[in-house]
Amino acid sequence: MGAADGSPPASAPAGPQAPAPPSREASAAEGAAAAERAAPLEPRGNPYLAALLAWVVPGLGHVYLGRWLRGVAFCVLVATAAVVGVSLDGKLWRPVAGKPLSYLATPGAMGLGAGYFVLRTGMGYRGDVTAAGYEYGSAFLLTAGLMNVLLVLDAWDVSRGRKR
Amino acid sequence: MSHFLLLVLYAFLVSVFFALLWRSERPDRVRLFLQMFLGLVVGGLAVAWLMFPFPSGPPAPFS
Repeated sequence: MGAADGSPPASAPAGPQAPAPPSREASAAEGAAAAERAAPLEPRGNPYLAALLAWVVPGLGHVYLGRWLRGVAFCVLVATAAVVGVSLDGKLWRPVAGKPLSYLATPGAMGLGAGYFVLRTGMGYRGDVTAAGYEYGSAFLLTAGLMNVLLVLDAWDVSRGRKR
Repeated sequence: MSHFLLLVLYAFLVSVFFALLWRSERPDRVRLFLQMFLGLVVGGLAVAWLMFPFPSGPPAPFS
């Protein structure tokens, strides 16, 4: 028996090692995750309420839909972008007569939800056009608003059962 | 804060955001994050390098 008759030796270490078979617990966990991914999508909660909450406070719509980790992560990301934008004295867009682009940028900035109105009316924030970081801050603030607009649409899709 | 650091911070925030929004599996998220982050940072540096020979011109008027 062995190499002489063509059959592999019983304890030959040559060749790549085969991966160890997964444990029973790991297989069960992977199976449960695969079953969850394969399960049909179902509507969750009220889509209008989810979208409204997502707009007012970034991430709150996902929290309402039971996506706690994603909601908190989105809230931190949008809030960080907004705080950096304000710390750089960036522009918080508002409609300006004779400047058509301001009518496009304002809804994007208003995507910040309650934060936009707290900054603009509550704190009187305007930004400082002479500040060194004005352009960068404007980009951060507008991006924060646009990211939250996408979160509103995502919360709507999750609530309608179009997305996991 | 330097311009480059702001570029990196912006690229990081946007990349993490879209990786979480558009992908649900961890390997896919990591792959998209790296693609977007490196694309933004390297792309920004490439555009800056291409613009280097051009004069900056007078400062924009404040209004």
